[in-house]
Amino acid sequence: MTMSPDIFYVEDDKDFAFIMQYAVKEVNEGLTVNIVEDGNLAINQLLKYAEEKQKPKLILLDLNLPGISGLDLLKRIKEIPFFKYVPVILFSTSDDLNDVKSSLEIGANAFLTKPNGYHNLINCVQSMYDFWFNQNRSIN
Amino acid sequence: MNSNNVDLTNCDKEPIHIPGRIQSHGFLVSIDAHSLLIAHVSENIKSFLQIDAQALLDAPLEQLEQLLENDLQISQLFKLGESLQSFETISPLPVQIRGNSYYLIISFSGPFYLLEFEPVTIQYDLQNKIGKSVSEILSGKNLRSLLNNTAKEIKEIIHYDRVMVYKFLEDGHGEVIAEVKEEALEPFLGLHYPASDIPKQARELYKLNFTRIIADVNSTSAAIAALHESAAALDLSHSVLRAVSPIHIQYLKNMGVESSFSISLIAHGELWGLIACHNYSPKFIDYKAREAAKLIGKIVSSALEYREDEEETEQNNNYQEAMNFLTQQLSKDESIVSSLSKQHYSIRDINAASGVAMVFEHEVTTIGETPDASQLRELFDWLKVTMNDSVYYTHRLPEVFNPAKEYKKIGSGIIACILSKDLDEMIVWFKPEQITAIKWAGNPDKPVMQSENGLMSLSPRNSFETFSESVENTAFKWTKNEISNVMKIREKIINAINKKAGEIRLLNERLKRAYDELDTFSYTISHDLRTPLTSIKSYTELVMVSNKSLDEKGRMLLGRVVAGADKMGFLINEILKLARVGRAEIELEQLDMDKLIRESVTEVTAPFIHTNLEVVFGDLPPILGSFPLITQVFTNLISNAVKYSSHAENPKVFISGTEEGDDIVYKIEDNGIGIKVDHHDKVFELFKRMDNVKDIEGTGVGLAIVKRILEKHNARIWFESELKVGTVFYIAFKK
Repeated sequence: MTMSPDIFYVEDDKDFAFIMQYAVKEVNEGLTVNIVEDGNLAINQLLKYAEEKQKPKLILLDLNLPGISGLDLLKRIKEIPFFKYVPVILFSTSDDLNDVKSSLEIGANAFLTKPNGYHNLINCVQSMYDFWFNQNRSIN
Repeated sequence: MNSNNVDLTNCDKEPIHIPGRIQSHGFLVSIDAHSLLIAHVSENIKSFLQIDAQALLDAPLEQLEQLLENDLQISQLFKLGESLQSFETISPLPVQIRGNSYYLIISFSGPFYLLEFEPVTIQYDLQNKIGKSVSEILSGKNLRSLLNNTAKEIKEIIHYDRVMVYKFLEDGHGEVIAEVKEEALEPFLGLHYPASDIPKQARELYKLNFTRIIADVNSTSAAIAALHESAAALDLSHSVLRAVSPIHIQYLKNMGVESSFSISLIAHGELWGLIACHNYSPKFIDYKAREAAKLIGKIVSSALEYREDEEETEQNNNYQEAMNFLTQQLSKDESIVSSLSKQHYSIRDINAASGVAMVFEHEVTTIGETPDASQLRELFDWLKVTMNDSVYYTHRLPEVFNPAKEYKKIGSGIIACILSKDLDEMIVWFKPEQITAIKWAGNPDKPVMQSENGLMSLSPRNSFETFSESVENTAFKWTKNEISNVMKIREKIINAINKKAGEIRLLNERLKRAYDELDTFSYTISHDLRTPLTSIKSYTELVMVSNKSLDEKGRMLLGRVVAGADKMGFLINEILKLARVGRAEIELEQLDMDKLIRESVTEVTAPFIHTNLEVVFGDLPPILGSFPLITQVFTNLISNAVKYSSHAENPKVFISGTEEGDDIVYKIEDNGIGIKVDHHDKVFELFKRMDNVKDIEGTGVGLAIVKRILEKHNARIWFESELKVGTVFYIAFKK
């Protein structure tokens, strides 16, 4: 039995993933985060969670991933009924309007542009946490 | 015909081959070919044979043979002539009459044989002289020297006062192109004579008889007697004694000429010209001398036919060489105009034009002698509406296009070809009027006189006037070869134009692709730079936060790293924005400019909220555009206006839009630091910033983005500026 984390994060950039772990702990020491590097690993892991009826509270997807792209991954996740109510947030360096549009169309709950710098990241995770974990609990 | 009405324009109708008279230096008898009875006798026979013409009429041929005291079997000669179909090898027959030598010349005249008797005069060794002369003549390397030699040698042999070579030009008028004369005489070289001076039927006779002698213009011609009414109708076409037309006699008299002799020059079966010999006293040369001259005429004819062909071939070869050269030039990578006009050969060299004007890409280029610019403009316009085909030519332009009279001297003949009717592109070649240099040596005021016998007395000058009217406004005709060269070069030029157009299109496409690639490249590179930059900043910040052992200095240094990363990040974002404009497909919508601009102002003035900045709005009419892009434009421009006027005492920005014709023109006016004149054309370039803004934040990308966005909208941007007074940016959007 695998415990699902609070945040399931798909990120191929090791640096960003590393910093993110710090930022999450900075926001709330008790938050757990599981990071996988590519789409295939992500799908496998998520299917496993689904099998074991474990739901992460939030899924963060990098847009530019090797192998399966963030958008395709998003599509696959939305096809799994078990994760129907898990918020999925696209997290990308891009702020291209087309990317934003297509993510939302496919069913992303939000599109966030990756913040620049550690402090900004903390702010970003903080507001994410406030919104999706506290105020908006009901959707879980 | 009524001789009162004879002048040089109607002498064409005079039946000169049946004058019913002969020149009186010899006598004529005609024999009926069927009955061998004497049919005609010239009345002057009495002075040669002491017998009345009437007494011989209808007498048998033998009676004449007896009178001649020679043992001539004339009827046998007729038989021989019939079997040969010619008397050329039989004539002349030496005949003695009363101790004097005569030649008998026999010829055909319809149902009659003509027997003509004329004196023998020759004393010198002709054969020898001719041989020498011919080799002398043929030594001429070109046509001109051939003809000069001819005139010289003919004078040597037959000793006339003046020997001229007279050439018929294409409209039938003639020019003296070679001359040898007694020194005291006026030169006629270069003079032109109207076609009517040698009327058509006379020219026909010159083709029939290669020589013609007029022994004495003052002697009275002898009538031809006949039993029947047919006397006047006796055809003297082949007669050597045929009387001269009274008009021609008068013509010669007007010139002071008392006797003349001519030799026909025939080329390609046509009368090419004449060797005309004038004597200022009566002169007669006998048949053999004339035959010798005729032989020279024939040799010269064939030589000039050959030389003329040769010169024409050479000329055509020159045209061809120019054609080949131009074709090659056109295939090279140069401009069409310079290929055709600036090289060793130009388009003028493909025909006999003396000038060419070409209008291409709205520029007029001329080579050689052409009408002036405004005359050309008028001609081009006329040709544009007149030309139905791609090529048009005339050798009489002033007759069909009146304004051309002004420049008939250089442009009586034109050949034009259209390169593009839509673009008004064409080439026109010009040929000069051909009588420009005509000279005439007669008395210009000498009127036509009526002499006592009722004949019109004609002056050469008078005939010249008739002539100059008829060939005015006329150039040499365009030859088939010249026209075909124009058609060919037109095709080559059009091919070259099409090829160039294709090349430009290709280049354009490549450029577009390169531009797209550059956009993609900039986009990718900025995007990819952002990620490591974020790492740099994040790690630095993480270190600063988590490493408790950092001292103040370490913290400061790491702070600088973060600041540098921020600056770089900002720049990358700007470039990303610029690249994005290039990649974006814009969707136009009606924009509420009042809202858009006021929001932009709110955004960019936020940091200046506590200054005395004043922003004033005029009318802000809606435009068609892409919301995010137009927002960028105004945010950029207003931000600049605010930024660069922030140091003014009372910074003021004024924004308004007005309709001007098909445009809506927005202006953004500030009272800031202004833009230096030498910087005006760099304002919209990437990363270009002025020296006087060093201490004001900026990347040098903003206006480049603005310009690209506006280009995408087919809008125009420009500005007016004065240092330390302010700047006004204008944007004209299409309605």
